[in-house]
Amino acid sequence: MRFRDRGPREPRVTVATGIRMVTIWHLFGVAAGVTSMLLASRTGDDELPVAIKLLMQVFSIVVTVAHVVAAYGTFRGLRRARTVSLVTNYLLFVVAGSALLHQVGAFTAIGKFGTGLNKAFLPFLVIVVGLLWVLVAGQLLSNRPHATGPTALRKAGWGLAAIAAVWFVIAADPSGMLSTLADRITQPLTIGTAIVTVGAGMATRFMWQRRVAVHFGTSAAEEQTLSGLAFLSPNLIGFMFFFAGPLLFSLVVSFFEWKTTGTGRTFVGIDNYVRAMSLDISSTDVANAGNEVLKPGYQVLMHLDWFGQNWVLGARDVEFWISLRNIFIFLVLAVPASVLPALVLSSILASRLPGMKVFRAIYFVPSVAGVIGVAIIWGQLFQSTVGWINYVILRAGEILPFVDPPAEGHPWVSSNSTALLSMVVVFAWMNFGFNTVLYLAGHQSIPKELYEAADIDGANVWQVFRRITVPQLRNTTFYVLITTSILALQLFDIVWILSTPEPGGPNNATTTPVLALYEEAFQGNNQGYASALAWVLFLIIFGFTFAQFRQQKDGATSGGVS
Amino acid sequence: MSVRRKGPKATAIRVATYVLLLAVAVVVIFPFLVAVTTSFKRNTDIFTYPPSLVPRAAVTVPAEQVGLEGDPVPVYTFPARDDRSGQWALVDNDASLAEFRPLDDLERIIVLAVTDGDKTGATITIDGEAEDVFLIDDGGTQIEAYRSRLTSGGLFVSVGNPDDTVLDLVNFATPVQEFGPRFENFTEVLAERDPETNGKGVGRSLTNTVLVTMLVVLGQIITSILGGYAFARVQFKGRSTLFMMYLGSVMIPFVVLIIPLFQLMLQVNWRDNLVALIIPFAFSAYGTFLMRQFFLGIPAEIEEAALLDGASRSTILWKVMVPLARPAIATLATFGFLYAWNSFFWPLVIINSGNPDNAVLSLTLSTLGGRSSTDTNLVFAGAILAMTPPILVFLFAQRYFVENSASSGLK
Amino acid sequence: MAAVTFTNISKRYKDGPKAVDGLDLEIADGEFMVLVGPSGCGKSTALRMIAGLEEISDGTLAIGERIVNEVPPGDRDIAMVFQNYALYPHMTVRQNIGFALEVARVKKDEINRRVEHAAEMLGLTEYLERLPKALSGGQRQRVAMGRAIVRSPQVFLMDEPLSNLDAKLRVQMRSDIIQLQARLGTTMVYVTHDQVEAMTMGHRVAVMRKGILQQVAPPQELYLRPANLFVAAFIGSPSMNLITADLTVNGDEVFVDFGGHRLRISPKALDRYPGLRERNGTEVIFGLRPEHFAMEDDIEVGDDQILTVRCQLAEAMGAEVHVHAVIDVPPPMVDGAPTAAEDDPEALVAGTKIIARVDGIHTVAMGQDVRLAVKTHLTHFFDPASGAPLR
Repeated sequence: MRFRDRGPREPRVTVATGIRMVTIWHLFGVAAGVTSMLLASRTGDDELPVAIKLLMQVFSIVVTVAHVVAAYGTFRGLRRARTVSLVTNYLLFVVAGSALLHQVGAFTAIGKFGTGLNKAFLPFLVIVVGLLWVLVAGQLLSNRPHATGPTALRKAGWGLAAIAAVWFVIAADPSGMLSTLADRITQPLTIGTAIVTVGAGMATRFMWQRRVAVHFGTSAAEEQTLSGLAFLSPNLIGFMFFFAGPLLFSLVVSFFEWKTTGTGRTFVGIDNYVRAMSLDISSTDVANAGNEVLKPGYQVLMHLDWFGQNWVLGARDVEFWISLRNIFIFLVLAVPASVLPALVLSSILASRLPGMKVFRAIYFVPSVAGVIGVAIIWGQLFQSTVGWINYVILRAGEILPFVDPPAEGHPWVSSNSTALLSMVVVFAWMNFGFNTVLYLAGHQSIPKELYEAADIDGANVWQVFRRITVPQLRNTTFYVLITTSILALQLFDIVWILSTPEPGGPNNATTTPVLALYEEAFQGNNQGYASALAWVLFLIIFGFTFAQFRQQKDGATSGGVS
Repeated sequence: MSVRRKGPKATAIRVATYVLLLAVAVVVIFPFLVAVTTSFKRNTDIFTYPPSLVPRAAVTVPAEQVGLEGDPVPVYTFPARDDRSGQWALVDNDASLAEFRPLDDLERIIVLAVTDGDKTGATITIDGEAEDVFLIDDGGTQIEAYRSRLTSGGLFVSVGNPDDTVLDLVNFATPVQEFGPRFENFTEVLAERDPETNGKGVGRSLTNTVLVTMLVVLGQIITSILGGYAFARVQFKGRSTLFMMYLGSVMIPFVVLIIPLFQLMLQVNWRDNLVALIIPFAFSAYGTFLMRQFFLGIPAEIEEAALLDGASRSTILWKVMVPLARPAIATLATFGFLYAWNSFFWPLVIINSGNPDNAVLSLTLSTLGGRSSTDTNLVFAGAILAMTPPILVFLFAQRYFVENSASSGLK
Repeated sequence: MAAVTFTNISKRYKDGPKAVDGLDLEIADGEFMVLVGPSGCGKSTALRMIAGLEEISDGTLAIGERIVNEVPPGDRDIAMVFQNYALYPHMTVRQNIGFALEVARVKKDEINRRVEHAAEMLGLTEYLERLPKALSGGQRQRVAMGRAIVRSPQVFLMDEPLSNLDAKLRVQMRSDIIQLQARLGTTMVYVTHDQVEAMTMGHRVAVMRKGILQQVAPPQELYLRPANLFVAAFIGSPSMNLITADLTVNGDEVFVDFGGHRLRISPKALDRYPGLRERNGTEVIFGLRPEHFAMEDDIEVGDDQILTVRCQLAEAMGAEVHVHAVIDVPPPMVDGAPTAAEDDPEALVAGTKIIARVDGIHTVAMGQDVRLAVKTHLTHFFDPASGAPLR
């Protein structure tokens, strides 16, 4: 009773034949690589963006060389050849496959699918219901294995989903897409790419087989490495392509003066950074001097009065510095507002009183509701004439003696002095619940015995809080402070929706660095400079985090929330 | 906060605690309450003072009741006019009116139709101007008055007595209202609207957002499971270095990437297409991390047993590890859902603002609710539609979500 | 059915220490081989190397005729029962047992047939649809065994499968496993730290220590002819008493002097330990198993074969009494560590502790002087420096 061979399938191709075929494929690959290199060199600069062309050339060279090595290796049966062949073919498969999908328009079709979904949303919902049905029936099934009823239920669910699927296809009407697809498939370039994809794929599949590994003598450790990288590959490719690559590119771009759309770029070195950070200070006799007392290119940032002398502080990029000022004010206000209540509330919620879970859930909801909706709501609340905030203040003024509401409702969002404050309120409202939950987790790791000992020592609530809870929560506080600060420093959405008359508020009162950056890139059409600003902001965030880290490591004395 | 004490002081503290918690809860819930009620109001009802939480509709009477034909007529009362009680239906709100002031009581105003009053031929000087003196009917008696103003106002018919009519300025009338939620807000905001008139409906963006969110969540789950398993269980060279890079990537703020990502989208012609919202975000370093932590917690013997049973790594992953990882996957799905559904910055960058076909909810809402919006009630209806799914998803997945986000975040 | 052959197998960890050092072991086809030793001796590592779960640094491992160093676990046609059972928590007993068959794409009715057959063999038929969490420890253990049996592998591996069970269940499972192996005739490699288990279950027992194989032999041989001091001390419960003494050999007259005592050793010992003749006047370690003692009147020995000691503790076990005493000689050390009680902190107390097993009918009080008769023809002798037997 053996079953060492997996399954009854007999392999159709012997190892030797397969290897020969793969070697021939590699030679073909060499030819293809050379062809693609020639193709890339031949196309004019205007047909293909320079970056893509360069990429293609480099890629073609790499592919060609790899195929040469692999062909030689497989022909001679060298041990490492299998690894080289596998890696080459797999990467080629991925690249060619992606190119194929791109040429066929499969990617953009996903987006266009939105139309189909819109037309066929109802059948789509029915499919979802059907699948949920199956899932639920499956759950019931797993909990009561003896029951046989749920199988019929599951089948019903599948049936429902199937019918809805047919309905969906009819309603979505893919005929347009299909005809475009047919057109594109028949292009010669597409066919060529398809051949490469299929060939590379088949070669990979063959070389991956166990018996080929045995033939080439691949060790178990090597096999593990290959296997691990294979599992990681979709993730890793995405990581490289959509994160690491762009990150590097962002750095490169920041050294250029580069138009966002359209052509035009010049290398300017660190000029962008210099421009962003340049400050100038000069003394004047006049109280409210203008730009003329500063160096050329600088504008007035603010007026200072030190030691009886008038000073003017200027910057080349006034808006950026204003945004920095704004964001720091915001940080100083918003972070404590988001963290302190969380600390206090979490201490209450950590007790075993009934109903704590309900409150916890309620407090968390603002974090998940979505910033746009929330900002719109708060915009209405802050409305000067009919907004609830002013109304409540008015009413409070009638009851409480120390509240003195102004005669007319205060324009919270459109007033220079309170615009930023409004943002602080919204931010704190949105984030305190999440922080409360983080603190709650921190509470779990405070040993109960500490509280019991304090109880025996006769400490009151405040003393317990100050001497035990807060110090024990040091690590959590550290984490919460950092995450909230990072969020605060990147403020954008709330400002975009809430501030009037345009984003950035009355007279730049609520301009934030991210906003300044966005405007520079997409309205000022200067992505080089904008990238530099982004990196400056990143360095600020990083420096901030790092400083927090050091403070944490040194075991700061207060260990509290300051 | 452990031992339960009895006694009045403890009870007082307990009560105070709950009061505090409730107060905070009210602060949290109130804006949502405002949003929900506003989403049911008529547009005209929103900018009333004092603000109210109740959506109201005007009470009307059928036209025939007041001797007319056509649509029902709104009803008013006159609280400022002591001598006029009961309900009055406004049948014409553009009636030409004249204000008359009696000569013996210049402070008093009597509103009549323009054609009312007979000129006596006499004049009187008021503020240096010569005004005609009229004879008007004042509750039965004829008095002398001059005409102080011509304006337009409303013709009211008494609901109880259709023969009784009065002319007055509409400002002096208070509309009679009843609880009247307007469900059409929601159907209207879902419909495609004419791009010429200020707005887009959220219907299309809703389905777009569903599509994007679904695919992003699916992509993140699959890539994170694969990647997390590789990091957790497969020994391969360079594993720790790569992992460090993944960890570090969480620290990089997204804003640094938008510009190069934008260029990338331009190059592959994904600009202004939903796919730009999907594929770059089908990978999640955080999700990979989450799955890795979870897989590390599964005893190694189970996998070794499966290896000995002859299962390939792939089979082990999907048939053994994944069924055990349901809580982590649920957390990941929830996080992914919230992230994709609520994302705003990147869609703003990559989707053309003039293109309603490719917008997602957050974009449409921001335009609708923008500074130049007029249909606030529809905007709020749209906001409610946009906020309800994430809140529901959160409440539903809460048990996994809250514990996991807190605990894994602290590692 | 296949033999398992270790040829000069070593496993080295990155920072130096060897978990397994130069292991040469041949396990015959159909044999029940037990690997036993204290923790850290390398027995589990060796087992896992057979399974393919540990990488082999040096040497070759063969299953049957095939060298399997680089063969992945799933292809070795072996089955393993883990100490913690390692059942798939989300699958029923039936699915757990049948998983390997499912992976191999065996037809469904065939799977069911084989699963039910294995379940019947193990008494699990009524639990087939249950989840592991609804089973007791013993039942889970049997499911783990069922999972192994159903595959009809060439070799069974068991990694301390009984250590998580309570004593009574352990005894019963032991006999179940023995009978199962006899019935199936499959090669079995069994790891345990419990030498009683090892002695009762194995056809042959391999004693390991610090990665090195000390002796592999049938249990009786280990008991009667230990290959070195370690094995002598390890096998037997309570362990063999080891005492450092001065040896005097004069023709057929052999005497040992220790701590103020003198014992004449029967000449029969010379037949078993001929090397004694060359060791006249030197220090030796001689070993007496607790069962080699008796009360003075219970057996016939010469006066010079009686040991008088003061009883420190008397454990009445019912059928026998364990008499604890102390000999005024420092306990023997090999490799810088005390031998007989390597994990016993009390071994560092001055003086050598000995235990004698005497018939339970005697009453021995603490502090009482006892005259023990010694069956000196069964004595063992070792070289103090190397621990080698003086054969």
